[in-house]
Amino acid sequence: MPELTFTPVIGIEIHIRLKSDSKLFCSCSTNTDAAPNTNICPVCMGLPGTLPHLNHRVVEQGMLAGFALNCGIRPKSLFFRKSYFYPDLPKGHQISQCDLPITTSGYIEVHDAEGKLKKIRVHHLHLEEDVGSLHHSASDGRLEGADTSYVDYNRSGTPLAEIVSEPDVASAAEAVEYVMTLRRRVIYSGASDVELEKGMMRFDANVSMKCSDGRWGHKVEVKNMNSFKALERAIEYEIKRQKKIMLQGGEVMQETRHWNDAKGVTSASRVKEFYRKFIVEPDLPPLFISQEWIDRVAARMPEMPDVRANRYVNEWGVPQEVADVLTDDKNLADYFEACVKAGANPVRAAHWVRTEVLRVLNERGQKIQDFAMRPEVLAEVVKRVDDGKLSTTQGKEVFDHMAANNSSLDEAISALGITEGGVAGSALNEIIARVISENPDVLEEIRSGKDKKGKKLKFLQGLVMKETKGQAKPQEVAEAVAEAVK
Amino acid sequence: MELYELNLSDAIQGLKDKKFSASELFASCKARIDKLEPEIHAFITRTDSTPPAETSGLLAGIPTVLKDNLCTKGLRTTAASKILGEWRPPYDATAWAKLKEAGAVLMGKVNMDEFAMGNTCGNSAFGPTRNPNDLSRVPGGSSGGSAAAVSAGYVPFSLGSDTGGSIRQPASFCGVYGLKPTYGMVSRYGLISYGSSLDQIGPFARTVKDLQLVMSVISGHDPMDSSSFRDKDHDFTHREDVSVKGKRVALVKEFQSFTLDAPIAEAMAKTRKVLEEEGAEIVEVSLPVVARYAVACYYALAMSEAHTNLERYDGVRLGYTVKDAAGIKEMFERVRSYGFGPEVKSRIIAGTCLTEPTRCEEYYVAATKVRTLIAQEFTRAFGECDFILQPASPSMPWKIGENDEDELKGYEADLYTLPVNLAGLPGLSFFAGYAGNLPVGLQLIGPRWSDPALLDTGVILERHLGSPKIANGGK
Repeated sequence: MPELTFTPVIGIEIHIRLKSDSKLFCSCSTNTDAAPNTNICPVCMGLPGTLPHLNHRVVEQGMLAGFALNCGIRPKSLFFRKSYFYPDLPKGHQISQCDLPITTSGYIEVHDAEGKLKKIRVHHLHLEEDVGSLHHSASDGRLEGADTSYVDYNRSGTPLAEIVSEPDVASAAEAVEYVMTLRRRVIYSGASDVELEKGMMRFDANVSMKCSDGRWGHKVEVKNMNSFKALERAIEYEIKRQKKIMLQGGEVMQETRHWNDAKGVTSASRVKEFYRKFIVEPDLPPLFISQEWIDRVAARMPEMPDVRANRYVNEWGVPQEVADVLTDDKNLADYFEACVKAGANPVRAAHWVRTEVLRVLNERGQKIQDFAMRPEVLAEVVKRVDDGKLSTTQGKEVFDHMAANNSSLDEAISALGITEGGVAGSALNEIIARVISENPDVLEEIRSGKDKKGKKLKFLQGLVMKETKGQAKPQEVAEAVAEAVK
Repeated sequence: MELYELNLSDAIQGLKDKKFSASELFASCKARIDKLEPEIHAFITRTDSTPPAETSGLLAGIPTVLKDNLCTKGLRTTAASKILGEWRPPYDATAWAKLKEAGAVLMGKVNMDEFAMGNTCGNSAFGPTRNPNDLSRVPGGSSGGSAAAVSAGYVPFSLGSDTGGSIRQPASFCGVYGLKPTYGMVSRYGLISYGSSLDQIGPFARTVKDLQLVMSVISGHDPMDSSSFRDKDHDFTHREDVSVKGKRVALVKEFQSFTLDAPIAEAMAKTRKVLEEEGAEIVEVSLPVVARYAVACYYALAMSEAHTNLERYDGVRLGYTVKDAAGIKEMFERVRSYGFGPEVKSRIIAGTCLTEPTRCEEYYVAATKVRTLIAQEFTRAFGECDFILQPASPSMPWKIGENDEDELKGYEADLYTLPVNLAGLPGLSFFAGYAGNLPVGLQLIGPRWSDPALLDTGVILERHLGSPKIANGGK
C-alpha cells in the first residue's frame, strides 16, 4: 500500500484597518488610543434614531487597497446588516458589504514549495465597520464568566477592509508570504498603515486537508491570529492535527477553533457562533462608483514594491536581494531613490542604505521617516567616497558622526580631523591595497625579486597615482607602495 | 373664542399682530390639556410645567407636541416601550431641531403604539390613548397621540411618523389633516426606526394651510440622513388660487369591490362630486399587484427591517437593564423579554424567521422584488392620472379593545395606506365631514415629490368639505 500524502487547502480572511481620520459612517476620530469612550458620537454608539452616512474618503481607501490586490472595482455595491448580539456591537448588527462588495476578484503572487511563482486568488475585498473593544475583569480574559466587563466604543465604526482569498494556499509558508506581500502592497497603496502591533491586521484561516486516497476533510475555521508568526504556527498546528485525525481514520469536524498563542494550540470555540443573517442596509443607498472616480483614484496608485524592485535590478543593476530589502518599506525605497536623484551611484547608494542606514535605524529602533539625515546629504557622502575624496572607512566614520551628532558633512569631516583635498592615510592605503590585489602577477614578480630595476614598482605607483586622480603626494605614494609590496 | 382653538396660521398672525402673547397662548393650551388629558391620555411626558422662554422665527411661541419616537435632547424619549426606560437622547431629531429653530414650543411627548407597531395607539407601555371625538373609541395609530392632541385642541400642530399609515389613519380617525410626505422629503435622523425604508415623519394640523406651513419648516436635505433628497427645495407656499381643472383623479379598480363602512363610502361619493364640480376628471387605474400582494410584501419588509432595527436594545448602553444576570446571554434575554411588549416581540420573531438564511430568498428577497413591481405599478398608474383618491381606512374608528382579538382584520385595515409607503409616495389624509360625532377622513395620493401639488388640492377639498372642529371628548 502506497504511503498516504496530504495536501492542505487553505483560504485566508484578513481584516485591515483602513487609513482614515474619521470613521466609516460618522465624523468621529479614528484614534482608538484615546481615553475609552471619548471618540464616540450617537451614530457610532448606534443610539436609537441615528443613521449611518458613508464617508466617501474611506471608499477611496478601499479602492486603493483593491488596486493593490489587482482587483477591479464594482460600479455598484451594497451595504448589508450582519446580525448578531454582542456587547461590543452597538446596533446588534454590523454594517458590511459582505454580499455585494466594492471590488471584484484579484490575486497576489507568492512562491510555492519549489520556489516557483504562483497566484493566490483574492475573491474580493469589502468595506465594513469595526466593533468596539471589550475589557474583562475575569482572569481568563473571556466574556463568559467574567465578573465585570467594560466596553470601549472608540473603535466602533472605524473602517475595515475584509480581504477574502480563494483556497489557493497550500502551506503555512505560503500563507505567511501571502499576508506579508499583501500587507506591503496595501501599505504602498496608501490605503492603510497596517501597523501589526496596533492590531491593524487580523487573520482567520480556513484549513482543510485533501488525502491522496480521495478523502477530503471538513473545513475548519481558525480564528484569533494577530501576527504573522501566530498565523504560521496556527496553520502548522492545524495541519498536523487534521492529518493525525485522518491518518487514524477519523473525521475532521466542521467547526470554528480559536488559536491560543500562549499554549500554541487551537481549541474548539466554547461559545457557539451566533447565527448571522444579512438584509440590505435600508439606511444607506447603493454605492455607485463611476469610471471617472475609479480613474481619479487609480491615478494616485504608486508603483508596487515588486515592480519597483525589478526596476532597481534591471535599470540600475542593484542586486535583487538588496532591491527586495529596500522596497520592503516604501519610505526606505523613497529615501534610496532620493539619494539617487541627488546624484549618488545607484548601486553604491543601495548598499549604503541597506547596510549603514538600516544598521543605525535598527540600533535606534527608528523608522526611516524619523531619520534626521536628508537623502541628499547621504548622497554627498556616497559621492565623496566614490570620488576617492574619502576612503570607505572615512566615509563610514563621517556617516556615523553625522548620524550620532546630527551634524553637517563639513562639521563631521573637520571634527574627525580628515584633511580634504588630498588622498592620504587610510584612503590612500585602500587604493594601494586595491591596486595590488588587482595586479597579483606584478606583485608576484616584485616579491620574487625579478623587478631588479624597480620598473614594476613604479608601474604600481603610477596606477595608484592615477586612481587618486593626482590628489596624493608622489613621495607619500612611492613610500607607501614600497612598504605595501614587502 | 379661546386661544387654544386657533389654528396654526391664525395663531401665528395673532401673535404677530400682538392680539395676545405667546405666554397667553401657552397658558390656554396648557389649561386645555389639563382639562382633557385625564380622559384622553395623549401624553407620555409633559414639558409644560413652566412657561417657555421667548422664541423667534416662523413658529415663534407656537405650542406643539412630538410623537415619542422623535429624539429630544435631554428629554425622555420612550417609543412607548419599557425597553428604553428613562433614556434621554443626547441629540435632537433633525425635524424637531428645525421646529425649535423656528421658535416652536414643546408641550410634551405623546403616545403611540410601541415602536410605531400598531394602528390603535393601544400597544403602548403607557396605556391607550382615547379618541377625543368619542372616548370609547381608538384614536388610530400608531401616531394616535399626535392626532388626538391636535384634534382635542391641545396644540395647533404636531409631528408623527408614518411607516404603513401611522399618520393618515389616526388623522382620519381623529378628524385632522395629516401628511405622509414623499420618502426622503423630511430627514429621518432622530426618528427611532421601525421599518427604515418605509418610515417618514410628517405633520398633523387642523387646516391644510397649516400643514403647508409646517412642511416649509421641516422638509429639506439633511447630511445626517442619506435617504433625504438632495435636489432643490420644494415650495410649500400656501396659495388660494389653485385649481384641479383638467386634473385626472383616479379610483383604484381593484379596490372598488371592497367593503367600506357606510360613512366612508358616502364621503368618497361626496368628494368625487366635489372634484368633478371643480373640473377634475374621475378616472380608474388598475393596481393588481398592489391589491394582491402589498400587505404581505409590506409586512415581510417592515418586520425584516424592524427586527434588525430593534437589535440594538440589549441593555448594554441605554434604557432598561438588569444588573444581576449570570452572564451576557441571560442579560440579553431578560432585558428583551421584559422590555418589549407582545406586538413588538411577535414582529421581531416574524422578522427573524423571514430573514433566516434558509427562508430569506423565499420571503425577504421575494418581498424586495415585489416592492419594485409595486413601485413600477404606481409609476404606470401616475402616467394615467394625477392623483389617486381612496379611503385612509375602510373602517370608522372602532371601540377600544374591539379589534384586539382579530389581528388579521387589523392588518387588512392598513391596505389603503401601506402601499403608499412601499412606493415612497406622499399621501394626504383629509377631513371629509362628520358622521354623527365621528369624523370621516379620506386619502389623496400623488406621485413622488408631488407633496406641494397634493396639498394645493387639499386646499380645494377643504374649501368644499369644510374644516374639522375641535373635538370635545364626544360631549
